[in-house]
Amino acid sequence: MRGGDESGDVVVTGLGVIGAFGTGRDAFAQGLRAGKPRLSAIDRSAGYHRPGSARLAALAEVSGLAALVPPALFRRMSPPARLAVAAMQLALLDASLGSGVDHETTGIVTGTAFGPAWVTEQLLSQILGQGPDQASPALFTESVASASAAQMALTIRARGPNQTLTQREASDLLALAEAARWIRDGRAERVLVGVVEESVPVLHALLDRFHALARADRFGPEEARPFDLHRGGMLAAEGAAVAVLESAQSAAARSKRPLCRLVAHGAAFDPSAPAWNWGSGEAQLGHSLRTFLARAKVSPSAIDRIVSGASGARRGDRLEALTLRAAWGDRPLPPIVAPKGATGEYGGGFLAAGLLAAAGESLAPTAGFREADPELGVAPWTGDTLAPPALTLLTALSSGGAAAWALIAPA
Amino acid sequence: MNAPHRRAPTAIAITGMGAVSGYGEGTGALWSGLASGRTAIGAFSRFEHAAYRTQVASEAPAVAPFPSFRRLSIADRFALTAAREALAQAGLPARLDGLEVGLYFGSSTGGMFESEEYFVDLLAQPRRGAGIGRLTAQPTCSPGETVARMHGIRGPVETVASACSSATLALGNAQAALRAGEIDFALAGGSDSLCRLTYAGFNALRAIDSRACRPFRSQREGMSIGEGAAVLVLETATSAEARGARILGWLLGTGASCDAHHMTSPDPQGAGIARAVAAALDDAALSPDAIDFVNVHGTGTLHNDAAEARMLRTIFGERAAHLPLTSSKAAVGHYLGAAGAVEAVATVLCFQHGAVHPTPGDGAVDPGFGLDLVTGTPRHLPAARFALSTNLAFGGTNAAVVLGAGPA
Repeated sequence: MRGGDESGDVVVTGLGVIGAFGTGRDAFAQGLRAGKPRLSAIDRSAGYHRPGSARLAALAEVSGLAALVPPALFRRMSPPARLAVAAMQLALLDASLGSGVDHETTGIVTGTAFGPAWVTEQLLSQILGQGPDQASPALFTESVASASAAQMALTIRARGPNQTLTQREASDLLALAEAARWIRDGRAERVLVGVVEESVPVLHALLDRFHALARADRFGPEEARPFDLHRGGMLAAEGAAVAVLESAQSAAARSKRPLCRLVAHGAAFDPSAPAWNWGSGEAQLGHSLRTFLARAKVSPSAIDRIVSGASGARRGDRLEALTLRAAWGDRPLPPIVAPKGATGEYGGGFLAAGLLAAAGESLAPTAGFREADPELGVAPWTGDTLAPPALTLLTALSSGGAAAWALIAPA
Repeated sequence: MNAPHRRAPTAIAITGMGAVSGYGEGTGALWSGLASGRTAIGAFSRFEHAAYRTQVASEAPAVAPFPSFRRLSIADRFALTAAREALAQAGLPARLDGLEVGLYFGSSTGGMFESEEYFVDLLAQPRRGAGIGRLTAQPTCSPGETVARMHGIRGPVETVASACSSATLALGNAQAALRAGEIDFALAGGSDSLCRLTYAGFNALRAIDSRACRPFRSQREGMSIGEGAAVLVLETATSAEARGARILGWLLGTGASCDAHHMTSPDPQGAGIARAVAAALDDAALSPDAIDFVNVHGTGTLHNDAAEARMLRTIFGERAAHLPLTSSKAAVGHYLGAAGAVEAVATVLCFQHGAVHPTPGDGAVDPGFGLDLVTGTPRHLPAARFALSTNLAFGGTNAAVVLGAGPA
């Protein structure tokens, strides 16, 4: 694994976020500063949940969506497509690319772990429960994983490349990397990187059956506890985050001050991972991470912040910690923050938090962390507010084996 | 090394190919079937379908199990089978641990077929829904991850899930990573299996022909769904030359675009796919005049074929009337997320055999298109050097690749 060529001329000029913290970048940043998840009870009325299962999720606040999505399109969209389009509109405004901009050369790349879950559930219910002739063509159209990316393109007539990546928890950083390649290779003038997920009862219940979700236990309430000794799973989240990427020259030409700059990206795979969990390939992943940094001509000591994808998953956080230790060797690790304790897993919160943290936004200490796990030898930052970083590493190790990293610097 | 004429400096060598199709296991079976002019679309038994609107599909024969892996989906096994063949042909070891390899896959439904079995139980008894392990292969990324796991891949692994353009887009991602020097080798391809969701869904859209599909024919009524996988081993020309690998063909250029027109219908003018083709030609540093034949998306739906016909006239002008045209989908059906991979393999096989495979399907070619559809028997084209392959998808997602012939 070598990682992408230095992407120093690719910058982020806009960010739109919809999630449990509310609508917009400011609401999201405020949530990060508060450092506590905003959780709702998941609807258990369909009966998918078993007794004792997880009950909470970071559900998106959707009351403002209709104002952001053209009504004629809104009613035809799946729930995640609505989230994605709304986040896109916010990102374009943030990037000073509102109405009147021709998006002939705008590309879109989205990442999703599960795709449109509610639509798929409804469609399967029709086909398997009522008979194949009951399948709704409208639902089928929206059941593809790329429906959100397509609806984003339809809304603003974005005619550049359009792609959706599904690589579980690594989807967001892989999408960021693909966008950087498109800009670097001249395939798109700007790229909207979207990460979107919904958290519907059936998906929530199935994740719980896989023992992926945190439950209330004798160590505390139902919460994610990234890197904690007593971590027991993640919090499912829904929402969307869209970042606007373009070249530094493009941003400068329109006098737009970027939020942050993508320095490099890299990816690897851990073949020891089983199909629905994390593996034990920390030595190999640590080597891959070191190789990525070396290729980017970045010494680990130059990294002064790590925004970790640790989610509270038992094996995932272990792999994350041991990979970082393997990569850093004898060197001390920089301060680590794990925003998924507050944002939950999925729905773009991690990408948005990582970009904002790299840009200097302060994050509260990792939610849910109380007691260090001696096996990990890594603990998230629990001290005072950190100074803005000079270089931030974002890490995403996914169940199933995929891994992705990004180096982000302030603009 | 006998490189193709005007080869772009960043051409990517294809040194291995593998396939599972309705004709059987392997690229040999695929070519025999394609060249025969007989379609692999017909009766199928993957699932009970008497209640469905149509009764035909292209079902691949069962592939051998992989005992070291549990709970594989059919799509996983297709992918493993195709990858094994491709690696062997490329002269690469089955374990890739020591090499810089990335995997770029396309899939539309992953292990959906197996998931449906689970959901039948879950919907009947929501709280019980026994055997969650049956869902382990459900994710769209499962076929690619399974291949990576089996072969010890340690580089980037990513799955494109952009419906019917997925595998073609994955080829583009692999090409970009190779050109950037991020990896030395790429396994690029796709895998999808028949499932109730897509079969019922496309029937709900009235997009499936009740008979084997008939692309570009006047009486065409829709597509036919197929299943299978295809994998290509890609590397830089330098790498292939250094290790003395046999170059089967070249991946010369890729392009992508979005119609931004409609969720299911293509831009009727074909403008979106024309932009993707123009980008692919530009990427390959080739003019349209250099293209010797085209393996079109060619689903057999009314609107898709019409849009592609307009694209061909836009790109090739009057030459479109004389440019040999084929559609692999009429032979093996529509592999959805894997379509671009099997069609890229089919295109390279055409180069290797000096002939463009015919497009099965009865009835006259639609005279309104003014296209030269290859029908009946293979069209001998031994001097062919460059070909175009296209894919269109839900949401107006377009992708195109320009492929080149390997050394004679």
